[in-house]
Amino acid sequence: MLAALRSRALLHHSSSSSFSNLQQWKLGFLGLERTRSSSSIESNKATELLNLQEIEQILSDVKADDIRVIPVRQHCDFMVIATGRSTWHVKNIAQALIYKAKQKQKGAQRISLPSVEGQEGGKWVVIDSGTVIVHALDEKARAYYNLESLWTTETSPKEPSSQELENAFVKIRPKNNSKKSVQMSS
Amino acid sequence: MTNTVTLNHLGRSVFGGLGNISSGSLRTSLDSTWNNFLSQQQQRTFIQMRTVLKVVDNSGAKKVMCIQALKGKKGARLGDTIVASVKEAHPNGKVKKGEVVYGVVVRAAMQRGRCDGSEVKFDDNAVVLLDKQGQPRGTRVFGPVPHELRKKKHLKILTLAEHIA
Repeated sequence: MLAALRSRALLHHSSSSSFSNLQQWKLGFLGLERTRSSSSIESNKATELLNLQEIEQILSDVKADDIRVIPVRQHCDFMVIATGRSTWHVKNIAQALIYKAKQKQKGAQRISLPSVEGQEGGKWVVIDSGTVIVHALDEKARAYYNLESLWTTETSPKEPSSQELENAFVKIRPKNNSKKSVQMSS
Repeated sequence: MTNTVTLNHLGRSVFGGLGNISSGSLRTSLDSTWNNFLSQQQQRTFIQMRTVLKVVDNSGAKKVMCIQALKGKKGARLGDTIVASVKEAHPNGKVKKGEVVYGVVVRAAMQRGRCDGSEVKFDDNAVVLLDKQGQPRGTRVFGPVPHELRKKKHLKILTLAEHIA
């Protein structure tokens, strides 16, 4: 079974953008990694909490609507957005994911659960399992926050284009509209 | 206004130890320059009552004044929640002037140590408004945000942010 897990993990890595990126991110994210730092197989770290395929399966089991998977290169690998029909449904999605993570780690000494935010409110629940972040929203919240438009336009708009840069450096002489008559030097 | 993020890889100030060079009564020129250097570095502190912070989301407020730092005796730091009163707001926004709001500090002038020994500090103090349950009031967050917020369970602000420092 371990071999199957390993091969699945390797497959996952071949699809992700860069392995070195993952390494750098892992250095900063010591909270979840501490329990697994002793493991010699590094590829296991990516699938330690919840795998993308497992998440998709659970979401379809729970009958979450409108599931979108967005690859993100910044602080996580994938972002999954799902809608729940009511607040209870949203909470249920979160609980199902945690249950699956608990089941996966049955028998290990320490269980590290994915961190959940917003569980009491029920409007927007975020489940953070390291490489994958799952957002469960209800209809109104999804329309309000509009996360797809944020994350599907991946290009960073903060970098000024070369055209804007040229305009910034052009020196514009201020217009002299004063009515004061010019003194003629004799 | 550009925001510069300074990352210091020295945990404590190196100059603190070197400042006490002169031992005798002779005040050397080197000593006075070190003292000048020390007084030039401004020591930033916590965000406490009466601190005015900038609002960096599109909830409608522009400036808030901190009323209470919810955790910490000395004040709030990067990533902490505060209670604030809106001092300045956009005319047609969701948040009105004089409203008491909760917020999370996303940029602080005081440096915050990271687990690898480096420190982060920003040029200004900025806050993102939340409601009592922790849901962001706005839909977008402007400017850089540090990833200390991930550990502090503020992933929602990270997802709405445009740039993560």
